[in-house]
Amino acid sequence: MPAKTAKSPPLSAATLHILLALAGGNLHGYGIIKEVARNSDGHYRLGPGTLYDNLKKLISAGLVADVPTSSSTRKAASAKDDDRRFFALTREGKDALAKEVDRLQGVVTKARARLQEARTGRA
Amino acid sequence: MNRAVSRLAYRLILRLHPTSFRDEFGSEMLWIFDQEQQLGAAAHLFLDGTLSLLRQRFRSQNSPGQLSIASGVMITGPGIAPVRFFQAVLALSLFCLGLMILKLPNSLNASVTWADRMPCYTVTLQAPSHAEVVLQTTP
Repeated sequence: MPAKTAKSPPLSAATLHILLALAGGNLHGYGIIKEVARNSDGHYRLGPGTLYDNLKKLISAGLVADVPTSSSTRKAASAKDDDRRFFALTREGKDALAKEVDRLQGVVTKARARLQEARTGRA
Repeated sequence: MNRAVSRLAYRLILRLHPTSFRDEFGSEMLWIFDQEQQLGAAAHLFLDGTLSLLRQRFRSQNSPGQLSIASGVMITGPGIAPVRFFQAVLALSLFCLGLMILKLPNSLNASVTWADRMPCYTVTLQAPSHAEVVLQTTP
């Protein structure tokens, strides 16, 4: 049973995918695009325009933050990625993602129940 | 050659974005375009870039007193400046150009011929899929 959460508006598909990608660790823009493609088995392709438009909104909302240059995550990145801008999920971002996952879990549970009812009604 | 032209077209799309957005994310977007182009998967970025341009421009213009939409009817104050309209047309043209470069590298062959002593002209478009379109117009 999902935990009871405060009411919050559903996240858009792009926002959900970006937050989900960043939940695995700090990434630069292209890293997010590749992670989103990997998470969705290539079904959801995020372009840089959509990505940065959403990142801008998420940064203003405090759900995502820029990673400072001296961060260990950046040091771990390859030399090619050194001058890229990295992004990280904030605590608020993690909370928003958790709420959205709970909300989706509720939708899936209801959908399964409805489908089950339909199957038993037909039989 | 195609790569250089498509990169230039994408740079122009970025150039048309509002300055604040371009300064913040322009170089990152271009870098991503370069990465995708190396993989031969940059075609969809023209659509994404064009949509992003329209989104950013509309948002920057949609400030109070400039443009508002009510009940599906566009009510304008000063209205959309001609330069913005020109930018939108240019962006659409660049998007089409990008698609032609990336999707139809050697497939589109356009030629215009005027028939000798005849007041008509013929435009022929040929594609390697053996499809042929002939437009003939007589005044």
